[in-house]
Amino acid sequence: MNLPADAPFVSRPAPRLAAGVLALGVHAVFVLLLVFGVSWQTQRPAPVMVDLWETLPKAAPPAALKPPEPPPPPQVKTPAPAKVAPAPKAAADEPPPPRAPDIALEKKKAEVERLQRLKAIQAEEEKARAEAARVEAEAARKAHEKQLAEQKKRELLRQMEEEDLMRRMADEEAASEALAMRQAEARAAAGKRQAEVARVVGQHRDQISAKVRGNTRLPDNLKGNPEVRCAVRLLPTGEVQSVRVTQSSGNAAYDEAVVRAIVKSSPLPLPADRDARAAFVPELSFVHRPKE
Amino acid sequence: MNPELSQDLSLLHLILHASLPVQIVMALLLGASLMSWWFIFIKLFALKRALRVTDRFEREFWGGGDINAMYQRVAAEREDAGEMERIFEAGFREFMKLRRQTGLSLNVIIDGTRRAMRATYQRELDGLESHLSFLATVGSVSPYVGLFGTVWGIMLAFQGLATVAQATLAQVAPGIAEALIATAMGLFAAIPAVVGYNRYTHDIDRLANRMESFMEEFSNILQRQATKPA
Repeated sequence: MNLPADAPFVSRPAPRLAAGVLALGVHAVFVLLLVFGVSWQTQRPAPVMVDLWETLPKAAPPAALKPPEPPPPPQVKTPAPAKVAPAPKAAADEPPPPRAPDIALEKKKAEVERLQRLKAIQAEEEKARAEAARVEAEAARKAHEKQLAEQKKRELLRQMEEEDLMRRMADEEAASEALAMRQAEARAAAGKRQAEVARVVGQHRDQISAKVRGNTRLPDNLKGNPEVRCAVRLLPTGEVQSVRVTQSSGNAAYDEAVVRAIVKSSPLPLPADRDARAAFVPELSFVHRPKE
Repeated sequence: MNPELSQDLSLLHLILHASLPVQIVMALLLGASLMSWWFIFIKLFALKRALRVTDRFEREFWGGGDINAMYQRVAAEREDAGEMERIFEAGFREFMKLRRQTGLSLNVIIDGTRRAMRATYQRELDGLESHLSFLATVGSVSPYVGLFGTVWGIMLAFQGLATVAQATLAQVAPGIAEALIATAMGLFAAIPAVVGYNRYTHDIDRLANRMESFMEEFSNILQRQATKPA
């Protein structure tokens, strides 16, 4: 009989560590999914600044004025062909001289002819040169004219721009004036509203005072006209939540009587206006004097 | 009222700014969830191993191997043996012992053997079923715990609403969002626990059936062997 061999087996422990790591992994994945998968509203979109223009900025004029500039080169170049044109004409004039002289002395004639031809050529050259000078002068004049015209145009443009600027400035001035006026109006309206609110608040203060006064039972031992200050917590409906004496009159019975009166007066009359009600609603400081 | 409007609704912020009872509920649920996942994985590994080892043993046993040699092998590596191997080992050891004692009837021998096998079977089944009750508890209770946290958080949110003049959604929204996280956590803990519990209970039932059949069949084999003139 060997008991130890009969002893029950111990179950082999399962891989606890691996299971724990896996469990943590599952939770980590879930938390990551929650954090990155759900778009939590972490920040509000930043406000966007927008400039509002009543009219578009004058971008069109500069665009329209630019095209005139390229044309000048062709205009300067057009005179060049003219310079070439006269040359053939001069060549056409050349043939007649040889036919004019008589047949006296072949050699002399030839000589004369040569001289004449030379002269003619020279004259021709001179003519061509003069023509070229003229053409050049013409071109220069044209260029000058063009320059002038351009300058004029530019000046005109500047003038237009200035006018535009002036106009815009005037517009802006008018706009700012209008804004100032509107603000003044708004201020005036706010002032009026404030006055109105103050009036309503005063009115309701009086009503509340009257209601509480009607409910107050003055104690017999009251002397003089002592003042009690209470902080009254109110619900939006006017119902009294709690009353706390902030400044006692010195007469405990009288303080008590005022607190009772306030509680008895619940609900207090509150203004319908939201702004006016703000003077009463979370807490109302209440002053009470027996004689007024 | 304005700071309320621009409430930060990030997850961490919501959890950190929840009221104390809600935070306690959340911590409880997180613990329950961690524990249940831990047990789910432990059971997963253990059951997989049990199935694998049982399959291997059945193949070996019904493959016509020598029972004596098998007994020697199982007894040698008893720490590493599977559930069914241990049942086999306990039964065969008891059988050998009883057989050595002369003057015992066949019925006594077989009954003793079966008792030994049944005891081992109970112990093994108990080991397999450990921790399952925890999964069942988490699965059925944690939704209620989460719901409790949510109800508590919403109660607080509405209490805060009573003292303000204009009730807006912005004043209760953060409170409700924070409270609902508790329900979400409860469900997160409960769902895997219930699924794991059902799955593992089924697996263990099947294993138990196999073991019981094996016990019956092995008893028959031993009985045949005992009646044979040794």
